[in-house]
Amino acid sequence: MLREMAVSAIRTSKLSKDYGLARGLFELDLDVAPQEVFGYLGPNGSGKTTTIRLLMGMIRPTGGAAYVFGLDCRRDSVAVKRKVGYLPGDLPQFGSLRGSEVVAYLGGMRGGADPTAVRSIAERFDLDLNRRFREYSSGNKRKLGILLAFMHKPDLLILDEPTSGLDPLNQQEFYELLREARDGGATVFLSSHILSEVEHVCDRVGILRAGRLVRVAELEDLHHIRAHHVEIEFAPGTPVPEGAIRSAAGVEDVTVDGGRVRCTVRGSFGPLFDAIHDASVTDLVSTEPSLEEIFLSYYSEPEQAQKALPE
Amino acid sequence: MTAIALGLRVGRWGVLGFSILSFVSSYIQATGFYQLAGHTPAQRAAFAKTMGQLASQLTLILPPPTSLDTVGGYVQWRSFGGLAILFAVWALASGSGAARGDEERGLVEAVLATGTTRSRWLASRVIGFAAASFVAAFASGLGLVVGAAGGGESVGFRSVLEISVALAALGLSCYALTILIAQFASARAATAAAGIVLVILFLGNTLSRTFTWLTSWRWLSPFHYYELNQPLAPGGAFDVRATITMLAIAAVGAAVAALVFESRDLGGPFLSLPSRPRPVSYEPSRTPVWRIPVVRGLYDRRVGLAMWAAGLAAVGAVFVALTKTVIQPLLSIPTLTHFFGGFGGGQLYASFLGYFWLTFAELLFAGFAITQVARWASEDTEGKLELILSTPQSRAAVVVERAVALTVGAVLIAAVSGVAVALAAHYQAMNVSGERLAEGTLLLVPFALVFAAAGSVLAAWNPRAAVGLLGGLAFASYLVNELGPLFNWPVWLQDLSAFKLFGTPLSTGVDRSGLLIMIAIILVGFAGSILLMERRDVGA
Repeated sequence: MLREMAVSAIRTSKLSKDYGLARGLFELDLDVAPQEVFGYLGPNGSGKTTTIRLLMGMIRPTGGAAYVFGLDCRRDSVAVKRKVGYLPGDLPQFGSLRGSEVVAYLGGMRGGADPTAVRSIAERFDLDLNRRFREYSSGNKRKLGILLAFMHKPDLLILDEPTSGLDPLNQQEFYELLREARDGGATVFLSSHILSEVEHVCDRVGILRAGRLVRVAELEDLHHIRAHHVEIEFAPGTPVPEGAIRSAAGVEDVTVDGGRVRCTVRGSFGPLFDAIHDASVTDLVSTEPSLEEIFLSYYSEPEQAQKALPE
Repeated sequence: MTAIALGLRVGRWGVLGFSILSFVSSYIQATGFYQLAGHTPAQRAAFAKTMGQLASQLTLILPPPTSLDTVGGYVQWRSFGGLAILFAVWALASGSGAARGDEERGLVEAVLATGTTRSRWLASRVIGFAAASFVAAFASGLGLVVGAAGGGESVGFRSVLEISVALAALGLSCYALTILIAQFASARAATAAAGIVLVILFLGNTLSRTFTWLTSWRWLSPFHYYELNQPLAPGGAFDVRATITMLAIAAVGAAVAALVFESRDLGGPFLSLPSRPRPVSYEPSRTPVWRIPVVRGLYDRRVGLAMWAAGLAAVGAVFVALTKTVIQPLLSIPTLTHFFGGFGGGQLYASFLGYFWLTFAELLFAGFAITQVARWASEDTEGKLELILSTPQSRAAVVVERAVALTVGAVLIAAVSGVAVALAAHYQAMNVSGERLAEGTLLLVPFALVFAAAGSVLAAWNPRAAVGLLGGLAFASYLVNELGPLFNWPVWLQDLSAFKLFGTPLSTGVDRSGLLIMIAIILVGFAGSILLMERRDVGA
C-alpha cells in the first residue's frame, strides 16, 4: 500500500495510437495521483475512449507507454485489471440474462461478487437485479454498468462517460458514490464531454482535442473557459441598457433585437447583473453551451489554446 | 425504396458470398462432368449408371436425378440439389436476423421512428432478400454456363433463368416462413424455432422417398415444389405451378408475418406465457456455476446445448430406422445377400449407418462449431469481450476457456446422440459394434474442433468476417473431400479436408493418422489464435 501511494495511479509517457488521417491519440503525457478524481474532457472523437482503451490494455499503443500503479498496461494487463473497475461507453447486450446473473457472471471472473457491496449499490440506484437485461431501460443498463465497475471496490475507477442516460436524481447519486469511493481511497479517471459534470466531482481536468492533450487544469481554472449563453427579455417600452451590457466584464457577443438581448457570459454573472440591475427584466434564460462550442471558440487555433488558460 | 436499399446493404456480404459459392459450386460440377463422364455416348451412359448408384445412397439429402449423362442433368442433381440446402440455411440466418436480430440491435426501432410502417419495413426486407437470392441463384446458373462452355457445350438461357427463379423462390419461401415463425418466438429462440421447422420440412420431403407414409404430407414442404423443377435436364421441365406455389408460400408467409408484426410489441413475441411476477431483488445470483470457468459458459448456453443434443439424438434415431429400411429389402434379394456378405468386412449395417448417419452428423457438428464461432465473433463485435477483458482474465485464458467449453459441449452432444443411436440400433436389432460406434461418435468432437480452431483464428483476426470465412472454409473442405478423388487432386490437399480426415470409423475403425492430423490442426489453430488475440486491438 505504501509503495502504491508512492507511485502515480495513472502515468502515460508519449502515449500514442495513430489510426491514420490524423485520427487517434498523440504523445499523451499524463500523471494522475492516487485518490485524485481526474476528469478527462473533450469533444466527441477527441480521443477520450482511445485513451481509456489504451489504459485498459484493450488496444496496443503505436508509441509510448501507459502505467497503472506502476504496472505496464500492456505487459501486466491482468494485474492492472485486478485494481481497476471499468465502465465502458456502451454496455454490451446480455440478452435474456437477468441483472443478477450478469453481476454473478462478471463478478465470478473476479473470483466472486461481494453480495453486500452489490446490494448496497443496487439499492441506492433502485436497480432490480431480478429483471432480464433486455427489459432494462438505457438508464438501468447504465446503472448496471456502474454497479459492475464499483462492486469490487477497486483502487482505480476508469469510467467512460458514466452519467450518459442517467436521470438527474441518479446522476446526483452517482456523484455521491464517486465521492465515497474517493474518500475510501480510490482514484477516479472519468471521461466526459459535459463541463458542469466534471466541475461537480473532479479535482483536476485534462482537456483533449483532436487527439492531443491541450491542457491539464485545476478546478478553479475551469471558470475561465466556462461560458453561458444568456437571453434577456426586457419589459415592453422600457430602455435596454445596451451600453452597460456591452461594457460589462466577461460579457461577449452581444446582440440586441428590440427588447431582447442575447450574449455570452464567461466567468461570473456579477458584472452582467450589475449592468441590468436598474432595468425591468421579464425573463432571463441561461444555457450552458456544448463543449464543442467552447472548444470551437477557445481552441480553434493552437496558439489560442496556450493563451486560454493561465499557467 | 430507402428501406430496400438499407436491407440490401445490410445483406451485401451475404449476396456476395452466396453468389460466389453458388457460381463455384455449379462451375466445378460442370467442369467435373467433362473430366469424369467421358465424351462418347457409351462412356457417358456408364458414368450415369455409376452416379445413379451414388444418387440412390444420397436420397436423404439430394433429389433423385434425371439424365445424368448430360451436363444439365448432372449439375441439376449435384449442384442445384445441394444449393437448396445452402439457400435454406441462408434464408434462415438472414430471415431470423431481419425479423428479430435487427430488433435486438435497435435498428428496427430507429427505422420505425422515421415514419416507416412495420409492414413496409418487413416488405422491404423480403424484397431485398428476393433480389439477393435471385442474384445468387443466377450466379449458380452462370457457373453452369461457363463450365459447360469450357466443355464445348452451351446451355439455354431460358433454362438457366428458370432454375434461378425456382431456387430463388425456394430461398424466398424459406425466408418468409422464418420471419413468420420468428414473430411467435422469443428473440433468443427465433432462429432455433425456425430452423427446426425448416429441418422438419426438408426431412419430411426427403424421408418421404423412403417412408411412404410421409408422401401424403410432403405437399407442405417447399423443398418438394423445388424438386419438381428440372429445367436443366433434357426432358425435364420448369414447373410453373410448383414455382407459383413456392412464391405463394412466400407471399402468404410474409403477409401473415407482417400482420402479426403489426400487433406485437417490439422485442417480444406475439404470444408469451404470462410470467410469474418476481419480487424486486438487489442480490447477485447465488448460483455457484458463474464462478467456475468453462462451467459458466456451458451454463450460459445450456438451452442451446440441450437443443443440439436432443436434435441430434432424434435425427440419429431416424437415421438408424432409415438405414434399416434401406438395407432390409436389399438383404431379401438372394444374389445381393452374397454380395453384401463381403461388404465392409461383414459390417454391413455399420458401413451403411456410418455412411448415412456419421456423414450427416459431420455436417451438423461442423454447423455446431460455426454457431459457436459466431457467438465468439458477436461477443467481440458487440463489446462483451471488452467487458470480459476488463476483469483479470488474460486473452489466452479467454481463448482456452472458449475451446474447453466448446469441447465439453461437443462431447455432451456426441454422447447423447451416440447413446440414442446405440439404443435405436439395439431396438432395431442391428448388428453394430458398440465400441466402434462410441469411437466414431467421439471422433465427431475433434472433427468439430478442427472447424472451431480455424474459426478461433478467424475470429481473432477479423471477427466481423469470421463466420462467413469459416462457412466458406467448411464448404471448401467438403468440396475437397467430394471432388478430390474424382479429379485426382494431390493427397496432401485432400488430407487438409476435415471430412477426409474423419474417415469411415464405423466400418474401418478410427484412422489414427487422420486423428493425429486433426489434433495437430486443433493445437496449432488455437495456439495461433492466442497469438493473434494477444496482438490485436479489442473494441477498436
